[in-house]
Amino acid sequence: MFVKLALRNVKRQVGNYLVYFITVSLTVAMMFAVNSAIFSPALTDRISGIADLKNALFFLTAFVALIVSAVLGYATSFILRLRKREFGTYLTLGMTRRNVLMLFFAETMFFCVLALGTGLAVGALVYQGLMAVIANLMETAYSFSAYSAKGLILTVCLVAAVFLLSSLASAAYLRKVSVRELLHGDKKVERQVKHPVLWLFVTVVSLAAVVGSCIFFSAEVERSVRGTGSGGNLLLAVVVLAAAVVFFHIGAAKSVVRFLLGCKKLKNRGTNAFALRQLSGRLSANAVLSGALAFLIAFAVIGANVSFVQKISNDAIFAQSYPFDVGGRTEAGEEAPVPFDEAERIIEDYAEIESAVYTAVYTSGERYLHGFTPWSGEEYEGLTDCFLTESDFNALYVPLGYEPLHTDGGFYIYSGSAVISSADFSAAFLELPGGSYFYRGTLSGYPYPQFSCYFCAVVPDEAAEGLEEDTFCAAYTLAEELSGEEARALEDALSYEYTPPSGEEYTYFRCDYDIRELARMAMNANSAEFIVSALYLAVVFVFLAMAILALKTLSEIPEDRRRYGILCRLGVSLREQSRTLFGQIFAFFFLPFALPVCLSIPAGLICRQILRLSDLAVSGVAATTGGIALVLTAVYALYFTAAWLVAKKNIVRE
Amino acid sequence: MKKILEVDRVTKYYGGAVVTKALDGISLSVEEGEFVAIMGASGSGKSTLLNVISTIDRVSSGEIRIEGKSVSGRSEDELSAFRRDKLGFVFQEYNLLDTLTVGENILLPLNLRRVPVKEAEERLKKVSEALGVSGELDKFPLELSGGQRQRAACARALITSPALILADEPTGALDSKNSKVLMSTFELMNASLGATILVVTHDAAVGSHAGRALFLKDGKLWNEVIRGKRTRREMYADILSVTAALGGEIDVR
Repeated sequence: MFVKLALRNVKRQVGNYLVYFITVSLTVAMMFAVNSAIFSPALTDRISGIADLKNALFFLTAFVALIVSAVLGYATSFILRLRKREFGTYLTLGMTRRNVLMLFFAETMFFCVLALGTGLAVGALVYQGLMAVIANLMETAYSFSAYSAKGLILTVCLVAAVFLLSSLASAAYLRKVSVRELLHGDKKVERQVKHPVLWLFVTVVSLAAVVGSCIFFSAEVERSVRGTGSGGNLLLAVVVLAAAVVFFHIGAAKSVVRFLLGCKKLKNRGTNAFALRQLSGRLSANAVLSGALAFLIAFAVIGANVSFVQKISNDAIFAQSYPFDVGGRTEAGEEAPVPFDEAERIIEDYAEIESAVYTAVYTSGERYLHGFTPWSGEEYEGLTDCFLTESDFNALYVPLGYEPLHTDGGFYIYSGSAVISSADFSAAFLELPGGSYFYRGTLSGYPYPQFSCYFCAVVPDEAAEGLEEDTFCAAYTLAEELSGEEARALEDALSYEYTPPSGEEYTYFRCDYDIRELARMAMNANSAEFIVSALYLAVVFVFLAMAILALKTLSEIPEDRRRYGILCRLGVSLREQSRTLFGQIFAFFFLPFALPVCLSIPAGLICRQILRLSDLAVSGVAATTGGIALVLTAVYALYFTAAWLVAKKNIVRE
Repeated sequence: MKKILEVDRVTKYYGGAVVTKALDGISLSVEEGEFVAIMGASGSGKSTLLNVISTIDRVSSGEIRIEGKSVSGRSEDELSAFRRDKLGFVFQEYNLLDTLTVGENILLPLNLRRVPVKEAEERLKKVSEALGVSGELDKFPLELSGGQRQRAACARALITSPALILADEPTGALDSKNSKVLMSTFELMNASLGATILVVTHDAAVGSHAGRALFLKDGKLWNEVIRGKRTRREMYADILSVTAALGGEIDVR
């Protein structure tokens, strides 16, 4: 009999459960897609650095499952409260609490199983899309990706865990709630917000904290790039920002409308008093929820921005750090484990060497130039000044299309580090065995391959006379590009067993040659890890936020219909009813969204600042940030429009 | 006397497959300052009559005029404006907005008319004091007793000084004591504040407070009792005798 009743209830409650069903289905789809990617044989075969990506995605999907459990727990108990009079009636008729609990559990489980099936079907398609995105990010060709049983099992287990966890709150409520509360608990007077002035103060302080934490973060980034910042301060700024976003929304929900209600001219116009009261009750009752949703959306906005900018930054770093197909280093004064001539023979097995440039890095054994940088303290004692001759420098970069460099009797600082770019060498004056040289500037816009030093001075050729050779470098340009597999094989062939000199008892394989294709793959894997993780979180978080808001809005339809019916009788036209309802839903929907999406601006500016300070190209940041904000707003507006139209259809009637 | 309401041969049909004639060629009129009760058994058509007069429903045929202006053939927006400007409502379930305070509920019709704040507050003070709810203005409806809520609903209906106040079973949710208080309020609104009131009820005691009681049966106007200079008790007796002739389907308190 309970099964029959549960099925009938399911049929009757389809409207209430629709948003719940869609939320669970799409969340399951995302989970299944990511879980399938974790166990994808295609990724394992193609990408060597996939283990990191897999681990990251696995922890991420477990984290998402926890968040989803909390949100669905809220949604489930919310649906339960919507139907509490019905459950009260069951108890009055003699059902036990266990019966009622089982009934609710059965109904919810039915929707969950249905959503699991739908989610798996949709997820199968999303998985192919995700694999295409990953392939694109890794610059590998997309082909149909096989599904794995492990991905399916992990998804089912996670969904079962989510279902059980999300049911706990409802079970606890049903066990404790009195029959009277179930039957008559609806008629409650709106609880007046206590201390609205205090909450307004919290709102203002939180807004100031949001602005302040962004400014502090930006300043700390600048200090970090100059080598004087602290990671702890950056973390502090992020924590303050997160807390400020949450408290701003709690405070705003509890105070702003209350103060608008105090403005008689505004309140006593048309349906304003009604709309403000509707909003006041709804916002203050959902203040914490609003703060939590704002946090999720802010996380999504900032995460998406950072991930895309990280991709831009990775691409720029790659272009700067790997100008040659293969680059090698051997230390002067030591027998090279794989000398350049042997390496060239090995490389020729994979690809023809089109050109080779040999350079030497010299050292004075002193730390004079380091004195102009943050790396001048005792803890940097091992670092000594390095030098590159003008002819070596030009031999490296003129064939790549760069203008030849003329030192004209002076010297240039050459580095790939933002710390060095921002250091002031204007007072530097080099006295070397070959002569004395003035500082002429710091080079920018040139690549900086994997030298053994953080920076060096480019000096006239004669200046290097009498300096000690520190490292010999070789840069090879190949006639054809290496494939990923060839690059891996070449690295293996160039590697040798290495025992650290300081007495450690372990050995490992080391390679003194950098292969551009391998670096590209590693950077792409890193970008893919970041972007996929951030987008996964962003999509799930934004979707959950929208679902909760829509659920809240739609569940108020019966009450709103009655209230708007009274307005209609009092002579409020359909147009004015629609306008009032629009304002009410719009404000409720967009309160937790407005500030987080505005955080795109500081997020974009800070990303731009980081790239600029790192001497990387900043083009594309504004477009990326704007694009993310636009897409989020469009998706949000779409969801809002759907909720608004459904509500309008059901509430505003002749 | 000026005629506030004229109902002219109004007919109303309901239904799809099975058609029900809810009103059958009813004609009546209400003059300015009158207090009229529409009475009848369940299904007699009294609520339908109230709905078509209040423009919430449309007539199938016939015409309704308020202050000489026909309500037929108007657009939805015009009808809304008409309800806002000409009519006041008191309902059985109070129909106070539970999200608004009592004061905000009473002020709402004035807000809809964009009445200046100062003037609106003066009128609120006057009407709330007259109806004895001035001490409850900052409370929410759910914090009041049924009688207080209904008096607040009366204040809301009265505050715009409408041409006609329509009351649909206003004592339906009240006990006998609060019913008496409310009907005294209606008499006060009628006698002292000059409100024209049309109340639909099946309670003989409520009807006895009116100056005239019209009886409906099967959608037709069946009888009429005029109080004139008689006492309420005599009016009550007359209503009971008409009720007995109707078949005794009216509440007696």
